[in-house]
Amino acid sequence: MGKSRQCAESCVDYLALELVHHYRTQLQGPSLQAALDAVGERAGRQLAERCARDRAPLLEQLEAVKFICKEFWGEVFRKAVDNLRTNHRGTFVLRDTQFRWLVRLSQNQMPAQLGQPLPAPAAKADLAADFLLLPCALVRGALAQLGWDAAVTADAASLPQVDFTVVMRQQVQR
Amino acid sequence: MIVAVAVVGPTNQPLYLSTFTDDESARLSTLVHCSLDAVEEKVAAGMRGVTTDVPDAYLGVLAVEEECKVYGFVTNTRTKLIVVVDDPLIKDDEMRAIFRRMHTAFADAVSNPFYVLGTPLVSPRFDASVRTIATSLGAAA
Repeated sequence: MGKSRQCAESCVDYLALELVHHYRTQLQGPSLQAALDAVGERAGRQLAERCARDRAPLLEQLEAVKFICKEFWGEVFRKAVDNLRTNHRGTFVLRDTQFRWLVRLSQNQMPAQLGQPLPAPAAKADLAADFLLLPCALVRGALAQLGWDAAVTADAASLPQVDFTVVMRQQVQR
Repeated sequence: MIVAVAVVGPTNQPLYLSTFTDDESARLSTLVHCSLDAVEEKVAAGMRGVTTDVPDAYLGVLAVEEECKVYGFVTNTRTKLIVVVDDPLIKDDEMRAIFRRMHTAFADAVSNPFYVLGTPLVSPRFDASVRTIATSLGAAA
């Protein structure tokens, strides 16, 4: 993306937070998921088109996933994926040990003078699940745009580490 | 000069076609769509580069019909950019530069939030950029 057109990282953080918050106040359950999925997939497709523009052709599945791990992740989440594992049969696990969008959620130590109770652990897991819908959909959209149909799920059991599991379906017709 | 520019989607749906000559759009659109077979062939063969063996998005000449040459380019998102040129002296490097500029314009156009992916691209701005690119090579705009 052009160096001349940048915006503060905090703006993107707030936008991602507010987007989830906005839909959470209106929808619950599957419809919330569907709404965020649609937004994320659309954005992911557009971002992939842009990020992959000046790149040599990505013909192999592994190359596409590596592109997601390095360039795409760097562009969207401001750092590369820390660890990539695969079973060589279409399942990939992308581990980000410091997932930027959820770093604040993991810092549950409130300053003492505020005297507010800590969020309950169960509520936090639910919250994380909602906030991970958007990144999952982004990754799915980007892969779809590159020609790979995949299911993406995220596991935030030990924040701020997040594991994204990508399961490839058969290839979309080119 | 460039006589026609086309964008074809990942599933070979026509997204955009613009011609720069008088009343030849039917012939040119046939030519563009016939050359899609050549694109498929080259993609299936691993998109080997024109000069080297490294995979390359630029596919080179797809078809030659009378004085026209059809050039192709496949983006990473499987969108095909096709340009018909009736200048026999054009160099590969020039074509590469044209495709790069077209791809940039296309990426900007599909980032429009009101554009629905996979539908024909109706955008005055994309039209204008394609026209600029085409005229830079001396098309009668």
